[in-house]
Amino acid sequence: MAKKEVANNSQKNDKKMRIKELIFAGAFGAIYIVIMLIVVMLFGTVPVLYLITPLPVGLVCATIYELCVLKVRKFGAALILGSLFAVTTSAGYLPGLLLALGVAVITELVLLAGKYKSKKIFLISYLVFNLNMVCPFSNLHFNRAGFLAMATEYYGPEYANGVASLATSWLPFAQIGLALLGAGIGVLIASKLIKKHFAKAGIV
Amino acid sequence: MELMINGGDTRGIISIDPRTKVLVFFASGIISLSNYTHTASTLFTVMLCALIALCGKPKTAIKAFLLFTLALYLRLILNQSQGAPAIIVTVITALSTVFMFSFPTVLSILLLVKTTRISHFISAFQAMHLPIKVIVPFAVFFRFLPTVSDEWNGIRKAMAFRGISLSPVQIICRPGKTIEYILIPMLFSSISVMEELAAASMARGLDVDIKRSSYEIVKMRFIDYMLIIIIIMMTGLSFFLGSLAKGGIAV
Repeated sequence: MAKKEVANNSQKNDKKMRIKELIFAGAFGAIYIVIMLIVVMLFGTVPVLYLITPLPVGLVCATIYELCVLKVRKFGAALILGSLFAVTTSAGYLPGLLLALGVAVITELVLLAGKYKSKKIFLISYLVFNLNMVCPFSNLHFNRAGFLAMATEYYGPEYANGVASLATSWLPFAQIGLALLGAGIGVLIASKLIKKHFAKAGIV
Repeated sequence: MELMINGGDTRGIISIDPRTKVLVFFASGIISLSNYTHTASTLFTVMLCALIALCGKPKTAIKAFLLFTLALYLRLILNQSQGAPAIIVTVITALSTVFMFSFPTVLSILLLVKTTRISHFISAFQAMHLPIKVIVPFAVFFRFLPTVSDEWNGIRKAMAFRGISLSPVQIICRPGKTIEYILIPMLFSSISVMEELAAASMARGLDVDIKRSSYEIVKMRFIDYMLIIIIIMMTGLSFFLGSLAKGGIAV
């Protein structure tokens, strides 16, 4: 009797995330954020390179994201990863936070369209997901004067002027392009690496 | 390796509710992003160091405080010395900026990670009636941050022996190789840690849909309310100083 109930229970919740998957999503979130921060720090010390970080982050972090969604294969993994990203990187600025959360929701919808089976959809969804790297820069777009005042305080007026000349109205579009490019190459690398290492080891 | 953020506040003088710590984390994000003057972030950082010390990790607090003072000192003498070589000025500015910018956030994460037991974290948020599906990923996230940085340091050192490094040039020129050599070992070892963690928490009955009870006493104390008021005041101060600074600069 009790056994039957347990079996029913696990069948019923098969499509929802269980504790194991929740732990996977949270832990992959930690890996994603740490690696992302390391990459941003590497580029952030060189002032202007800071603006192109969506590209290298896409290159490096694609593997982590793909591994996470391929391992869980249920509704919610990308959403949790995206929310963790949003909360840790853009929590200080409300429009950025909302944008990043929106990106997470859209990614999850893309995955939902693939019914968590199609490998191509898994790969393509990262192109959407990586757009969240642009969201922390929304501060520069919506709150330009504030951002430049901060840049002056931190780096001095020459740097602020440099940023101001770069941060024209096309900057967000350039960053979206860079994010897509980085994610595209990153996904190619990721699918190769996952095939070579993780599929062989039976992890995915 | 129980579900435990590697710390606790048993030796601390005061004990702060995890919810307050999370609030401190959000406030630090706001303050470092609206940081047009150093006054607010300096105050906030000093307060965080004091909190970490009072919660029972004085060594961490002193280290962080010394590092912060060093960065602040470097910036101050930079303003004074006009004739210095440009390259030194640039390097010091860049380094101290990264420090100053990330310090509030890093310290608030340290406060959360080093002085909170995970069971305390989970039961505090369960008292707010948040579903366990929201709490667990966040709890695991904070628990995993130190693990990831440990793994990262180990792997980086091991690979440096073989001449593989993660520099910007390497990432752009040879992304495949760099990622493979650094990311793959890290993911493999983290996955095994995750699986152990999942097994441990299933054995503890986190997977059951019944409401869990806990030995942890969850209560917002006087000190929590004090802290919340202080944080709100500091955020307000940061915005106020920010609006002054913004007004003074013509863009």
